[in-house]
Amino acid sequence: MSGSLFVNPFHFSTMHENPGDMLGDFYTHNFEKGRISHDSMIINLGPQHPSTHGVLRILAELHGEYVLRAEPILGYLHRMHDKMGQVKTPWQFLPNTGRVDYLHPIAWNWAYVGAVERLAGIEVPERAEYLRVIACELNRIASHVMWWGAFVLDLGGVTPILYAFEEREKINDMLQIVTGSRLTMNYMRFGGVCADINDRFIKMAREFIPRMRERLEMYHKLVTGNVILARRITGIGPFDPDLCYRYGVTGPCLRGAGVAYDTRRAEPYGVYDRFRFDIPVGETNCSMGRYMVRMREVEESLKILEQALDQLPDGPIMAPKAPKATWKLPAGEAYFAVEGARGKIGIHLAGDGGKSPYRVKLRAPGFSNLSLFAEASQGTLLADALAILGSLDLVIPEIDR
Amino acid sequence: MFKAIVDNVKGLYSLLVGLHITGRYALGPFPIWLKLKKPENGYPQLTTHYPRQTIADEDLVTFRGPVELIPAENDPTKSKCVSCMMCVKACPSNCLTVVKGDEGKAPKLWTSNFTLCSLCGTCVEVCPASALRFSHDIYWVAEKREDMINDLLAKLAKNGRN
Amino acid sequence: METILVPYTTDITLLSVLKLVVALVAIILLLIANSVVMVYLERKVAGFVQRRPGPYEVGPWGILQTVADTVKLLGKQILIPGNSDRFLFLLAPVLSMFPMFLMFLVIPYGPILTGLEVNLGLLLILAFAGMEGLAVIAGGWASNNKYSLIGAARAVSQSVAYEIPLILAILALAFQHGSLDLSVLNRAQEGWIWNWNIFTQPLAFLIFVITCFGETNRAPFDLPEGESELTGGYHTEYSGMGFALFFMAEYTSMMLVSFLAAVLFLGGSNAPVDIPLINGVWWTLIKMGAFMTFMIWVRWTFPRVRFDQLLNINWKWLLPLGLLNLWVTALVMKVVGN
Repeated sequence: MSGSLFVNPFHFSTMHENPGDMLGDFYTHNFEKGRISHDSMIINLGPQHPSTHGVLRILAELHGEYVLRAEPILGYLHRMHDKMGQVKTPWQFLPNTGRVDYLHPIAWNWAYVGAVERLAGIEVPERAEYLRVIACELNRIASHVMWWGAFVLDLGGVTPILYAFEEREKINDMLQIVTGSRLTMNYMRFGGVCADINDRFIKMAREFIPRMRERLEMYHKLVTGNVILARRITGIGPFDPDLCYRYGVTGPCLRGAGVAYDTRRAEPYGVYDRFRFDIPVGETNCSMGRYMVRMREVEESLKILEQALDQLPDGPIMAPKAPKATWKLPAGEAYFAVEGARGKIGIHLAGDGGKSPYRVKLRAPGFSNLSLFAEASQGTLLADALAILGSLDLVIPEIDR
Repeated sequence: MFKAIVDNVKGLYSLLVGLHITGRYALGPFPIWLKLKKPENGYPQLTTHYPRQTIADEDLVTFRGPVELIPAENDPTKSKCVSCMMCVKACPSNCLTVVKGDEGKAPKLWTSNFTLCSLCGTCVEVCPASALRFSHDIYWVAEKREDMINDLLAKLAKNGRN
Repeated sequence: METILVPYTTDITLLSVLKLVVALVAIILLLIANSVVMVYLERKVAGFVQRRPGPYEVGPWGILQTVADTVKLLGKQILIPGNSDRFLFLLAPVLSMFPMFLMFLVIPYGPILTGLEVNLGLLLILAFAGMEGLAVIAGGWASNNKYSLIGAARAVSQSVAYEIPLILAILALAFQHGSLDLSVLNRAQEGWIWNWNIFTQPLAFLIFVITCFGETNRAPFDLPEGESELTGGYHTEYSGMGFALFFMAEYTSMMLVSFLAAVLFLGGSNAPVDIPLINGVWWTLIKMGAFMTFMIWVRWTFPRVRFDQLLNINWKWLLPLGLLNLWVTALVMKVVGN
């Protein structure tokens, strides 16, 4: 035993010790020690690789085209969001939540705002709750549609992602009306939302719903029905519910495995208990199941959106006792979880009465989902491993935080 | 065996369906293709060709660009700022510099460093005098880092004179 | 050609050598022009499919974009990775381009226009088509890159898998017309449109189309490149003109199979309808262009198949189908011929 825990990460072997060790870094050396087969090949997928969606790095041991084992390595995009939350005041940290997951920033907004509201006992006006639902569901559709394009891109089809961007642009146009930005949105405030929707937004949203349904049909014809795609992903990467529980997998990946767990239904927050929507569950627990779950979730989000627009009440959008910038967070602890596009987003906040929280813990769904990859990719073909990776819907800034 | 053959024939048909969809998007619907009908919002092309086309103003009204000072009602070259420093304290990225003037409450220096700004809008919301707002400028570029440090008072004076 | 020179010399050897030189020069010019046009066409088609305008800025409608890219590629340094096989690394792009010139010699562009009249033209093309795979292997191996190596390994099994159904499909035509001479095959499709081989041999045409994509390493069978898995496959390490030559070779082999499709299946230089001024050569070119556009269109529509699926398609479907087609053709020819 060399005591792998105490290996000095800054120690690199020099030429005279072992010439072969000059190549690769600490992780490669450690990975090399566990070589399964003497004629296998260790390959670095990433940090710059077209299918790792950013700066994820995967070390894989290949035997021919088969992946013997794979290990994701993180840390290339670490920005210490948890620590920043402890240094900054809640007001100052709020814009950061939009930067954690750039595809579904409004859910992260909501998680943080919800945790602070729960800790401070702030009541949110009804109209603001509805606006939150509308913005969050629109953003969820944008995220799923974007995933759809990126997943097909991983499988080699280039065109769908550009069709997906059409829908994303429509949603971005709408969200820009209320949030003012198109990517790292910062819509919610403690005790409400920052802007009310206008007639133009409602008109655009009403037009968007039937258009999106039409486009979904086109998506299914172009991609889901395509025999190449269907054979690429059917039966690839089966996740048992047991496997998902062990790694804490949530979101469409868990629902794809056949478990109908959705935070919107299991721990209702906001006004989600007032809407009628189904929780899509995968018929098969393979990549195709996860694909179908996401596509059907878009339909469910459209349903929620329709109902929310119908039920939208009048009233204020900010709580009368909304905290000001100099406000101090009360002592105590609060946990708030929302359903993001990738799974359960949880924020645990501990306040000690100071200006900034004593501790902020962000639970990113992507992190748990990725941790399953090492086990799920064993023994698959390289192309399949990348299909599984794509089906997890990874957003690296969220995983690395 | 028979089922496999049927599956494969169906598969070949699904490929034709895909080709039909992309082909239709490439050429557009027949009336537009034959130039009988004018394309709506640039169909089949959807992107905006920036130097030749620009975004419609109604789409820009809600865009939150770099912050700017709101001119006072009586004098458009002066700002409403009272130098209370709320925005400077609230800013999460420390990108604002406000120096109080020698006489009265009006500031003598008001800069925003756009290289640091994350457009979170905290300064706009905390301002007790409502002296700040977002501009709608999406085309602003600078060649040097120094040019990104916005002297908002000078900008206000310049805009007010025009 | 001969008739122009007859007043000056009657030496048959000299005449044929002269003709060969002229044909080779013309082919080189054709291949270069083809690459320039194809890169532009590919981008424009991709743009239209994806609802973008495509190249737009350089020249009117962006037609000079390819020229600008060529200048850029010419100006780039050829980086040779460390510990690589320098000789093979530099040889591979040349090797990929070199056999192309020979293959274009035997293609009948018009009823009588061809570079080299040989009665085994089809055999020559099939023989030299294997060289393309050799270049890919050499490039992938010499790069000293694991991605390139996997790409090269894929290229080997892919080219082995695809050549056999391709040969079987073409062999059925040779059975039907009793010749391996492309000019004979071209002339055999004269007359009405249903004399074209696409109507007499639809199954062979289907096999031919599928194998074309595999043979030219185009999507959905672009596994040796496999961009999302192998970051570029065998040409990951190539830059500058090395990359440009591989790129040219891809478009050239596309043009080759398109010419083959036009001559073998789509009637070659025979006109479906009589249009004044558009005679034999133009019809071959039009059919070739249509087939190439179809290949581009396919590329921008479908995802990539997996490697084992690709081999399954070949060995389990195309090979038996090709044999069946060959057998039925032989039977019909025996019955009808007697």
